[in-house]
Amino acid sequence: MSDLRRVDDVLWEIPADAQSGMRVPARVFADSELLDAIRSDGSLEQLCNVATLPGIVDAVLAMPDVHQGYGFPVGGVAATELPDGVVSPGGVGYDINCGVRLLAAPFGADELGERREALVHEISRAVPAGKSQGSRSALGERRLNEVLAEGPAALVEHEGIGSEEDIELTESRGRLDEADPAVVGERARQRGADQLGTLGSGNHFVEVQRVEEIHDREAAEAYGLREGQVTVLIHSGSRGLGHQVCTDFVKRMDAALGRHQIELPDRQLSCAPLSSHEGREYLAAMAAAANFAWANRHAIAHRVREAIAAVLGEAAAAGTRQVYDVAHNVAKLERHGERDLCVQRKGATRAFPPGSLDVPERYRAVGQPVFIPGSMGTASYVLAGRTGAMERSFGTACHGAGRRLSRTRARKRIEGAELRRALEEQGITVRSPSNRGLAEEAPLAYKEVDKVVEVVERAGLAAKVARLRPVGVVKG
Amino acid sequence: MTYRWIEHTSELEVELEASTEQGLFEAGVEAMRDLLSDGETPERLEIPVRLEGRDRAALLADWLGELAFLAETRGLAPDRLALLELDEEGLRALVQGWEGAPPHLVKGATYHRLTLERAGAGWRARVVLDV
Repeated sequence: MSDLRRVDDVLWEIPADAQSGMRVPARVFADSELLDAIRSDGSLEQLCNVATLPGIVDAVLAMPDVHQGYGFPVGGVAATELPDGVVSPGGVGYDINCGVRLLAAPFGADELGERREALVHEISRAVPAGKSQGSRSALGERRLNEVLAEGPAALVEHEGIGSEEDIELTESRGRLDEADPAVVGERARQRGADQLGTLGSGNHFVEVQRVEEIHDREAAEAYGLREGQVTVLIHSGSRGLGHQVCTDFVKRMDAALGRHQIELPDRQLSCAPLSSHEGREYLAAMAAAANFAWANRHAIAHRVREAIAAVLGEAAAAGTRQVYDVAHNVAKLERHGERDLCVQRKGATRAFPPGSLDVPERYRAVGQPVFIPGSMGTASYVLAGRTGAMERSFGTACHGAGRRLSRTRARKRIEGAELRRALEEQGITVRSPSNRGLAEEAPLAYKEVDKVVEVVERAGLAAKVARLRPVGVVKG
Repeated sequence: MTYRWIEHTSELEVELEASTEQGLFEAGVEAMRDLLSDGETPERLEIPVRLEGRDRAALLADWLGELAFLAETRGLAPDRLALLELDEEGLRALVQGWEGAPPHLVKGATYHRLTLERAGAGWRARVVLDV
């Protein structure tokens, strides 16, 4: 992509006239080194394709962890204006509301001591992952509808799982009001009914960590984090239910493109105006799947607390509090300035700054927590949203380290058993249903999370609060 | 009839080649068998499939998506086709395989860079799978 020009220290731009059909420029947050990696796959081409979507405003954005996806790149952000801008299921991705939840334990890594392995093992028994995917019991139609409509609040109210505080400390309180269970198809329901409280496969995980370093004492105190403390990071999404919603609507919108007079450079960008029947129904189904995903992480967190109770006692489990829960694959209706926008974040995290009314009151002075998982064996970060995000990225920061190598290449570089040994030698206990899957998620397959976070901070999108180091990983 | 995996940073992309258009759909089963194989189990399954669509490329993606769906909801690790018919309305098939716990690696088939076309004397297609 030769039209790339430098805007500032960490921002690059491809002008809107670089490719036929682009309606806005494409902007990339990166330093020179990350940009080299970004240019080596199809991310920038995909970003320019996104810039052709009807109703898109200002610019399409790539976070520093961006990599090639399908349709949208992973790590991409696009905002379209209501009422007639489009929404694209590919702009959200198949795993609707894939996201991250962080729990903070009341004990330190030194107190965990030799019980670390037992805790990781107990979590692997409590949270279904990999092939043994099914939940303990399938949801009936009524319960599933409650979860789709209300998210984790349905589990608190009807099952006594988790607490009101967990809801308060979840993005959008774990519920998108646009949700309509009636538009979630039968096949999606079939896939999701027995998957609540399950991890899934691929890059999903539960990681036990210790807080290695505090960067911002005021924010860390607000978030309830201290050096040496044990934390648990949960990464999962809406499972088969969300995937089926995306599949169903990509197909429906693909068939309706002619009627809406939309031409696209890539069929996976299939979309429909937000004001159209397809657009409204997708938003309602996607919101229901997002609520399901929040409930899924809520149920997983409950099982983690059960594992903590089994290994460290009831008091330790009761004192394990939720720091926050963020979505990184979702479309949300948000007001930015004087405009009502649909902000589509695919592999990107909302990062609202101090003072935002959408940030829980107890965090409002320091900004919204943002969690950036690294790869297995490397650090993860807790960040806080900053004002620059509202000015430059529709209130958005990155979502992870970002893949650098394909799964095949990762497997060629390291074997699962070898990686498992290497991680154990670093003091990281690993539970994974497959050595193949383990190798595909090897640290060498990812970019350096420290560099990604550094760019986000230099760009003023979010600031470092704490660095977390893994001591145990349960892989999906 | 062959398949091969193409490098893709985050997903899986498969290229299918066959002497006939129908052979591409058979090659798709072979590719999915490679991903979903879970070893032999005591139970065999035979599941009828009917997919509608006149657009052959989209039908191929839907076919691979259907195999992922059956793996996830029915535990089907496909290993052969007892029947496969393509007609103007879509596809009719009878898929056989082992009932087990195939990995939920493939979540669906995308329309990204989707192609299905004649290639010399035969046919070629490409599909990106979401993992």
